Amino acid sequence: MRKTVVIGFLGTTLDNIGKSQQRWERWRPTVGLCQQDDLIVHRLELLHDSRMRGLAERVKHDIAAISPETEVCRTEVDLRNPWDFEEVYAALHDYARTYSFNTDEEDYLVHITTGTHVAQICWFLLTEAHYLPARLLQTSPPRKEKEDQRGTYAVIDLDLSRYDKIATRFAREHAETMSFLKSGIATRSPRFNRMIEQIERVAGRSKAPMLLIGPTGAGKSFLARRLYELKKSRRQLAGRFVEVNCATLRGDSAMSTLFGHVKGAFTGALTERAGLLRAADGGLLFLDEIGELGLDEQAMLLKAIEEKRFFPFGSDREVESEFQLIAGTHRDLKQWVAEGKFREDLYARINMWTFELPGLADRAEDIEPNLDFELARFAQEHGEQVRFNTEAKRKYLSFATSSDARWTGNFRELSASITRLATLAEAGRISEAGVDEEIDRLRRTWAGGDEAGEVEALLGEAAAELDLFDRMQLESVIRVCQQCHSLSEAGRKLFAMSRQEKAKANDADRLRKYLARFELDFARIRRQPAED
Amino acid sequence: MKPEHLIALDGSEGEGGGQVLRSSLSLSMITGTPFRIDRIRAKRAKPGLLRQHLTAVEAARAICGAKVEGAELGSSSLQFIPGPIQGGDYRFAIGSAGSCTLVLQTALPALWFADSASRISVSGGTHNQAAPPFDFLQRAWAPLLARMGIRQSLQLNRHGFYPAGGGEIVASIEPAGKPQPLDLCERGELLGVRGEALVAAVPVTVANRELDRLSAQLGAIERQIRELPAREGPGNVALVEVRYANVTEVLTAFGEKGRSAELVADDAGQQARLYMASSACVDEHLADQLALAIALAGSGSFTTTRVSGHLSTNIEVIEKFLPVEFTLTEQADAIKVSVA
Repeated sequence: MRKTVVIGFLGTTLDNIGKSQQRWERWRPTVGLCQQDDLIVHRLELLHDSRMRGLAERVKHDIAAISPETEVCRTEVDLRNPWDFEEVYAALHDYARTYSFNTDEEDYLVHITTGTHVAQICWFLLTEAHYLPARLLQTSPPRKEKEDQRGTYAVIDLDLSRYDKIATRFAREHAETMSFLKSGIATRSPRFNRMIEQIERVAGRSKAPMLLIGPTGAGKSFLARRLYELKKSRRQLAGRFVEVNCATLRGDSAMSTLFGHVKGAFTGALTERAGLLRAADGGLLFLDEIGELGLDEQAMLLKAIEEKRFFPFGSDREVESEFQLIAGTHRDLKQWVAEGKFREDLYARINMWTFELPGLADRAEDIEPNLDFELARFAQEHGEQVRFNTEAKRKYLSFATSSDARWTGNFRELSASITRLATLAEAGRISEAGVDEEIDRLRRTWAGGDEAGEVEALLGEAAAELDLFDRMQLESVIRVCQQCHSLSEAGRKLFAMSRQEKAKANDADRLRKYLARFELDFARIRRQPAED
Repeated sequence: MKPEHLIALDGSEGEGGGQVLRSSLSLSMITGTPFRIDRIRAKRAKPGLLRQHLTAVEAARAICGAKVEGAELGSSSLQFIPGPIQGGDYRFAIGSAGSCTLVLQTALPALWFADSASRISVSGGTHNQAAPPFDFLQRAWAPLLARMGIRQSLQLNRHGFYPAGGGEIVASIEPAGKPQPLDLCERGELLGVRGEALVAAVPVTVANRELDRLSAQLGAIERQIRELPAREGPGNVALVEVRYANVTEVLTAFGEKGRSAELVADDAGQQARLYMASSACVDEHLADQLALAIALAGSGSFTTTRVSGHLSTNIEVIEKFLPVEFTLTEQADAIKVSVA
């Protein structure tokens, strides 16, 4: 049979109520806990000050009379000041560390009713941190004068999941958080729901960087902002949410945008600039498309994450900033590390919690809940509730979840599609005709091939600044590059006519220069992963 | 063990879960029949076995070398497979969990059937609420058993009150086997009534007040104050001993904190008045104990004041272990309990 061992202080006040026989008529917590008819204390580890030896012996003697099953072991613990947290914690920590626990055969209970409040706090902390493999034991005096003097006891298990009411409360909070992270969209994709569940758990417990991988439009930025709001509501963060797409950072200004600069750091640096990392101090920094960050910036960023300090551009004085980092990318960063395009140490640092956000096409079951969400959002923004006709909705969903629907722009594209439908709706109803038009429109977009998406993916937000003329030209060039195995092969194909007129074929160089105008190169185009 | 030889009991039925367990333990040892109780105290606030139940199980296990399963705090089932009863020297320290007298009531009937003489010492509480005090065992119960041929003597070495405990009772038993039948239906002439007040570390004025009150309730009675050493206290008991030619009854009430001496005396006095007003030979507590004895004898009868829930439950248990049948007959001012 398992034995029950209680560890606790002798109560210098509560257990100390005189030597007369009348001591039996009053509540003494240490004695009372050995008198419970549904608890047998096989061993009592009684901690006390050496000046209290007499009282400890009396209590031991009384326990022997009322509970022959109990062996009382005294341990003298001399505390100069039992109200000094540091001293008490150190003493109890030593006690816990040197005690030989035999958890295979014994159950441990820490009696927290006796001893100072400081001791009580220390017992709690040591138990919570599992230094003491015990549950807490609380004894209480009889509630009424006439009640039995032995009082009552309660065992408090710090494994809160064992309490039905508390567990229900946690489950509700957990469900609310999950729903919050999903913006209240009742998503059905098991893979996505599982991932959100993990993210929720990590967000609650860890301050380590997170890496969100997924195609453009999969909702990385949206999720990062939601995580920030969640952490802020839980008071885990006090600062701001700062978001930047690294694909838009180029040259000197990249350094300066992220890390700030001092006055006169470079031509044009007329005033000091704090930089985004400092703006995120105490808050959350979301670096989208982190793969596009230059190697110098990567080195600086790693230092900033690890040491929580860095040098602003042109400064010889370090500044401090502590922020939670979430990075986003659609690249295969592991591959980039192998090719020397991404620092291995930075990758290791941000790859602690990596989550892959599937694209919309991989979450066909989530299209319907998202569709409802988009309509609700439209209603909120435009003050107009728009609904689908039943047949129209069926038709749209049937197309949207079919393999014809490629959803290369993912949720952003779905959102735009619903916005178009809602805007064009007559009298708040989306008709079948409207849906037919929209399906045509989507088909045309995707029929143009991957390029539309490719330009976006390669250039990020910069793509939006292109003239249509340049964009169409670039789309075609990219398509050719993707079909070729080398820059030279692509150059030969693209300049097939003009190269015949030249004495020396320089088409590879011409193509390289063309791509450089968009800050692109052949290798990067070729590595563009196919959307699956 | 074949399952048909195992007696199954439901511990949630009837009253007095502890009484069912103790009777079953005694009967199981004496008859050599294993038993199993399930749903022990299922409907109580603290379900399952409590400490005081375990002390009885441990004593029984020691006496017959039983194989026991489920003898743990809070256990809802207990299986007891008895071995042969061994006479000898036994010591049980039970502290203030339960009562020495309850352990004795479990162990003594078994030791009547032992192969050799026994001496059993039980230390802990000798005068506890919800248990017959030593005085009852010695003056009311033991003489009737002696009349049935049982050879045992009981000695109180030190009083033990709840909660401090520390008392000791020693019993010596000569094996006598099956008790002789007893018919106790006439109590005979009233020989005397005595009020007694025990005080330990309690002012003697409390004892005086109790006896005054008993005198006021019961008329001219003998009075006795027993002042015990303070170290045995604190404790207070008021008891009334009623002696008839054929039977002596002891009716008890316990003093406790917050309960006035007068209330304690009223409690004992009221029990005595009801008993004396009836024509019954024994009060309900003695009836519980006597039922087992006459069942072991195989025949006999007695009259009692009322049939308590305890008694009916006890009778049901006894009838499961022994080939006997109880008959309850209502009489004027009493109920006759007989076994054939």
